[in-house]
Amino acid sequence: MNELLLTIFSAAFLATVIRTSTPLLLATLGGLVADLSGALNVALDGIMLIGCLSAVIASHYAPWYVGVLAGIGAGAVVGVIMAFFHLRMKADVVIVGFAINALAVGGTVFALSIATGGDKGTSINLPSGAVPAVDLSFLGVIPGVGPVLVAIFSGHSLLSWVAALLVFVVWYFLYRTPWGLWLRAVGEYPAAPEAAGIPVNTVRLWALIVSGALAGLAGAQLAMFNFIGFTAGMTSGRGFIALGAVLLGARHPVGVLFAAVLFGAFDGLTTVLPSLYDWIPPELIRMIPFSVTIIALLLFSYRAQRALALRGVKA
Amino acid sequence: MTDTAAPTPAAPAASAAGNMRPPSRWSLAGREIGRAVVALLVALVATLIIIFFVSKSPVEALGTLLTAPFSKVRTIGTWADEAAKLTVTGLAFGLVFQARQFALGVQGQVYLGALAATYVALSPIGSTPLGMPIAVLAAMVVGGIYGFLPGIAKAKLGANEIVSTLMLNYIAIEIVNYVILHGMAKAGLNYTDNFPATSMLPVLVDRTRIDLGLVFAIVAVLATWFALYRTSWGLKLRLVGHNPRFAEYAGIRSNVIMVSAMTVSGALGGLLGSMLVQGQAFGKLQVLFEGGFAFEGVLVAIVARNRPLAVPIVAMFYAYLRQGAQLMNIRTDVPAEVISVVAALIILLVASQFGLPAWIKRGVMRNRAGATR
Repeated sequence: MNELLLTIFSAAFLATVIRTSTPLLLATLGGLVADLSGALNVALDGIMLIGCLSAVIASHYAPWYVGVLAGIGAGAVVGVIMAFFHLRMKADVVIVGFAINALAVGGTVFALSIATGGDKGTSINLPSGAVPAVDLSFLGVIPGVGPVLVAIFSGHSLLSWVAALLVFVVWYFLYRTPWGLWLRAVGEYPAAPEAAGIPVNTVRLWALIVSGALAGLAGAQLAMFNFIGFTAGMTSGRGFIALGAVLLGARHPVGVLFAAVLFGAFDGLTTVLPSLYDWIPPELIRMIPFSVTIIALLLFSYRAQRALALRGVKA
Repeated sequence: MTDTAAPTPAAPAASAAGNMRPPSRWSLAGREIGRAVVALLVALVATLIIIFFVSKSPVEALGTLLTAPFSKVRTIGTWADEAAKLTVTGLAFGLVFQARQFALGVQGQVYLGALAATYVALSPIGSTPLGMPIAVLAAMVVGGIYGFLPGIAKAKLGANEIVSTLMLNYIAIEIVNYVILHGMAKAGLNYTDNFPATSMLPVLVDRTRIDLGLVFAIVAVLATWFALYRTSWGLKLRLVGHNPRFAEYAGIRSNVIMVSAMTVSGALGGLLGSMLVQGQAFGKLQVLFEGGFAFEGVLVAIVARNRPLAVPIVAMFYAYLRQGAQLMNIRTDVPAEVISVVAALIILLVASQFGLPAWIKRGVMRNRAGATR
């Protein structure tokens, strides 16, 4: 047990958590924007997968930032497709999300096989670019805490810093700009903004585009930093965990940040546990993030329901 | 696009013919069928385009996709077997969708149901004549329990069922992996011993995969239809799905209905699990034996509009496409995954309220000659 505690409170583990949390946080922010606009984006996982593949293929032929942009762009395009079917064709957004996930699971394998001439499953013949790490070793000159700061904060993906910044940007947008108010109003009670002359469907369209772009960015981080290259089903449910993190974060950017870091920590645990305790079967370790998500969901729902009951609202 | 226009108006017109009273169920059914047919045609055209871009011998690939499943008795058997299994997962999804629960737990129920069936089949009971039915029942009970859990969590705590069922799926997969790799299988193998013959579903047609599972599927269709449309439980369930607040005012305890719908759907998922492992295709429990198959039920349920009697028809069409794609994968240079692109397109088009473009709709209206508004 002692080694475990030592590991968890070590700087290296905190660095791992930042690394595993980044794609989750980006996807969760995407889920948050869609959720606040009134559309539950079930397709986060599929969009991440599409973002992964787009980023890998684009970064093979172009510099890394083109790969990242390709991930964002692919996600945004999927967002437009979802908006078209949801808003224009009046399809249920959850069903549209299913369809996108189905498309992503098989479609990425199909596209990879076309792009590489027959490879299924991995992009081994298609070396991918990588997002550069941000070197903060100059912090080491600070006496005392310097080395620890370097160990925790140096060498992370540029996108980790972007993700942290995006938490603030999303918060500012949602709570300090008129468009953010529009978006929340549309999600809360669409009839009211409609009556006030706010273009409800345009707001929803943009929410889905941004949601898709953020999930695509999460995919780019996953395929160009956490792992280098594409593997079939490489998101392994992270998009769905992000969906849980949106609920757990009480649909607020800061709450969502904590939820994503919490799930990221358990995801990080799955990478350090095998080396610490080789007797724990890997299947049980892989189960951890999913079990934690369920437990967190239950606890959170229980609390939310009690809060409603205290206010006298019938759930 | 023009070539899709000609055949479409025919389907609704045919079913609407001789039925001049306005809100008839036939014209409604016709509209639904029309939409499904349009979706299928658009999806086929899309497949055609993809194959022409991808393949070096597109004609051969398309020919394989469309004719190969019917070429041999063996492939027809595989098709029927797959249709039976798609029917069961389609029913399981359709049932919860009718209650307006987006529960996606069929995959997890399949895994744990299969695990329960395996425990029975490999135990001493499995070698007695009672082995097969007890294993099937065990699978259904365990599947039902695994469907009940997210249901009760939603009823008591309001836990979102989409997230909880998806997480339970991953957990179930890992549980099965664990049990197989740490105990059930011999070292180095990722599957269990073969089941004794008494625990297998008996073959119905020699040298094919058609087994008793086909009968189970037919019974499941009839039972689900009866439960939904001929019992008060079914009426309540559909009311809850259509308008939960009205149902609540009418004195229906919607939570009870919701939980029971998810439990019954779970039992169907468990049944599918036992059909997979006890059927002729496997006859043993293997790591990841399901391979995402359960989720195909989402497409079947959505295209069938959650109607139990429409589910097997859709399942037959879709099983044919899937079989064709598999054979095309083996015999030509087009990967089988092309089918998932087609599937997504079909789901999107069928789920669209205004799936018919305006010019097709005008054509349909003209053909109906004022039968409806």
